[in-house]
Amino acid sequence: MIGIINYGICNLASVNNALTRLGIDSEVSSDRSDASKFDRLILPGVGSFARAMDHLVSSGWADAIHAHVAAGKPLLGICLGMQLLFEEGEEHGHTKGLGIIPGEVRLMTPAEPHRLPHVGWNTLDFASAHPLFARVKNHVDVYFVHSYHCVPREQGDVVARCSHGGDWVASVARGCVAGVQFHPEKSQPAGLQILDNFSCWNGVTNSEGGALSC
Amino acid sequence: MTQNNLIRCKRCLLPETYETIEFDTVGICNICRGAEHKQHAIDWDERKLLLDRLIEKHRGKHEYDCIIPFSGGKDSTFQLWYLVTQYKLKPLVVRFNHGFMRQTIQENNQRTFKKLGVDVLEFSPNWKVVKRLMLESFTRKSDFCWHCHTGIYSYPLRIALRYRVPLVFWGEPQSEITAYYDYLNDEIEYEDDKKFNMLRTLGITAEDMHGMINSAENPIDRRDLIPYTFPDVKELRALAYCSVPLGSFIPWDYTRNTEIIKAELGWRTDELEGVPGHINEHGEKIECFMQGTRDYIKFLKRGYSRVAQINAFHVRNGRMTSEEALKLDTEYDGRRPPSLDVFLEYMGLSEDEFNKLVLPTTIPPYEHDFSVSRKAEKPWDFIHWYREDNSRKPR
Amino acid sequence: MVKGKQFTNFRDTGEAPSAVRIYSAQDADELIFLDIAPSTESRRALVDVIALAAQECFMPLAVGGGIETATEVAELLRAGADKIVLNTSAVRTPQLVTEAAESFGVQCVVVGIDYRGSGDAAKVWIKSGSVATPLHPVEHARRVVELGAGEIFLNSIDRDGCMAGYDLEMAEQVAAAVSIPVIVCGGAGNFKHLADAFEKTDVSAVACASLFHFGDNNPIRARSYLRNLKIPLRVLK
Repeated sequence: MIGIINYGICNLASVNNALTRLGIDSEVSSDRSDASKFDRLILPGVGSFARAMDHLVSSGWADAIHAHVAAGKPLLGICLGMQLLFEEGEEHGHTKGLGIIPGEVRLMTPAEPHRLPHVGWNTLDFASAHPLFARVKNHVDVYFVHSYHCVPREQGDVVARCSHGGDWVASVARGCVAGVQFHPEKSQPAGLQILDNFSCWNGVTNSEGGALSC
Repeated sequence: MTQNNLIRCKRCLLPETYETIEFDTVGICNICRGAEHKQHAIDWDERKLLLDRLIEKHRGKHEYDCIIPFSGGKDSTFQLWYLVTQYKLKPLVVRFNHGFMRQTIQENNQRTFKKLGVDVLEFSPNWKVVKRLMLESFTRKSDFCWHCHTGIYSYPLRIALRYRVPLVFWGEPQSEITAYYDYLNDEIEYEDDKKFNMLRTLGITAEDMHGMINSAENPIDRRDLIPYTFPDVKELRALAYCSVPLGSFIPWDYTRNTEIIKAELGWRTDELEGVPGHINEHGEKIECFMQGTRDYIKFLKRGYSRVAQINAFHVRNGRMTSEEALKLDTEYDGRRPPSLDVFLEYMGLSEDEFNKLVLPTTIPPYEHDFSVSRKAEKPWDFIHWYREDNSRKPR
Repeated sequence: MVKGKQFTNFRDTGEAPSAVRIYSAQDADELIFLDIAPSTESRRALVDVIALAAQECFMPLAVGGGIETATEVAELLRAGADKIVLNTSAVRTPQLVTEAAESFGVQCVVVGIDYRGSGDAAKVWIKSGSVATPLHPVEHARRVVELGAGEIFLNSIDRDGCMAGYDLEMAEQVAAAVSIPVIVCGGAGNFKHLADAFEKTDVSAVACASLFHFGDNNPIRARSYLRNLKIPLRVLK
């Protein structure tokens, strides 16, 4: 069962609908004490890094997430959710993130004529293979809406990049934790494939991609 | 002829007007690349294991092991033969009769069903409704086969629900023909609501169609559109339906499939309007006597027709060279079929009106040259085809 | 749903939920819902369609038609829309554009510009093309960018439903005048018209209606046609 963390800052319906559409068991949860019943967690997010961290900490979800990851269970951060995985964000001063992935979150500085926010479909360029992207062709397009980007300290954590007046990290993975800067629930078949892959990913980086099943 | 100005795949020769075709940097099309991938890069052993597991999961658990949608053409006959003889399944064979079945096919089917020993359900929809659907579909889309696409791909699933049989086996994968689905995606091509809405409806669902043809002067009962309506997806999921083409589990090879059914079931091929017999020995598209008209419309809109399509398969599967295909295509492709007269009579249209309806839907850059028109021969069974003259007679 | 010619002579083009499912299955990269005769009942129907679309399709959704207040904007976004389209409001109560952009982000705000005429004589019309304004589309486009619009949806009423091609001159003028994406609409009748729009103007996107309703076409085929002409369309699978 996948748990979709509801920490009070964004609309979760689309992610939940996508999983339902895929026939995957999922539940939106606002109660951190439920966390242990989920074998996978999704951390969505839209909006302000600082406000989101505030809610995560005060709701107890930050602790629950750490415990989940320490147990080796898969976690997927989407959009702001991916950014929160990092050590620090620079929006409205410096805010501590969950610190699961080394690195920080900074404002994008795309070269002219590209502007912010980075919104719309854009092309994924894979840096390495990962089970999260099994059966997703390289250079497929996905849907982005963001102004901040993640800067992982270790290049080995980068799974995919995109280009928007410069190269930006589009997806990261480290151990049993993965993040996507784009919205898979708004990315049509490629996005659905990624969510489907997450639902069968066992958290091991070099495992086989979600096997064909029927 | 103007069709020579079209960009074509350097291998299979299909032109740029072919739906979903895309050419790579060396001019080979995505469907040819898909065929390469199918031949060299798909783990068919893994797929066969999936098939074994899938079948065992359902065997003996329901009134029938599976539903097999069936037309009697080479693909459905092969899929029926394969599942009954290689897996000893107990299927319910379901046939949606579009109304244009030919005699050889009917004889083939009788022989097939008796030799294999299977239960068969056949459904023929209301012809008066079909005529109205054909006209509306043709007027909007220059494709009169809406009732057939939607009926064939939804009716067997309704039966699956009614009999509570979750497993439904279709035949060839769409990846064989177009790039809506691509072998490179390495997936099982579910025949689900997404595929139905993508490909089968032509952008018009049964609900839409009812609204379009229903009027005060000429009302149509909403129930008359039920045979063309995809069943409730929630009910299908509750049944845990699994609707899949056999061709996602075993590599599809038309020629080999036909050889097998000819040998094992005495299946016979037939003449195909506009296509010389020696090109169509594997019996493509011989089920429907409107096929020639369907192919002709394609020629008017897109500049290629059935001969070119069949030869494209032969080239892709290494049974013909591109040079041979070019020669045959130039010689035989795109002839005006006798079935067009039958169609015009059903619809009460003149050929001029027909051309005027098709022309605006031409795919650029093709431009049809009406000054050149070659005629196809009447197939032997032309005299047996149902005739109904609805043309407006002069007073 | 209906499709007309020049905003009149509407033909039934089916049910909205059908269209949602079909275009979603055909890998459309965005759906835009426009209520062309807004009323209380039609607003409720629009919210229902958006809610259904949000459940069944997984791409960005834009919705418009008679939106007049920030509350309505919030309601539609909550129902599942990702963007709202403001047309009449952008002329009559332009502060709504700014308010929506500030509250929800510029990426949420699309301004629709319907116009009649061509060249310098072109004029913006509002209220589903029933009320004239003295504004020229280019001047209006520049203004709404300053107000906070994220995208412009430019629609030629004269060409609507005629399937004879887009108004490329106006599309180019507007695209050149603003720094935000411009979507051109009105007149697409075959794939070549789409190619012309991309090759001859700086528009970011083309919108089609009649092309898919009348004629044997779908977004997947359109995409293949354009990619064969080396126009870099999004690859969704």
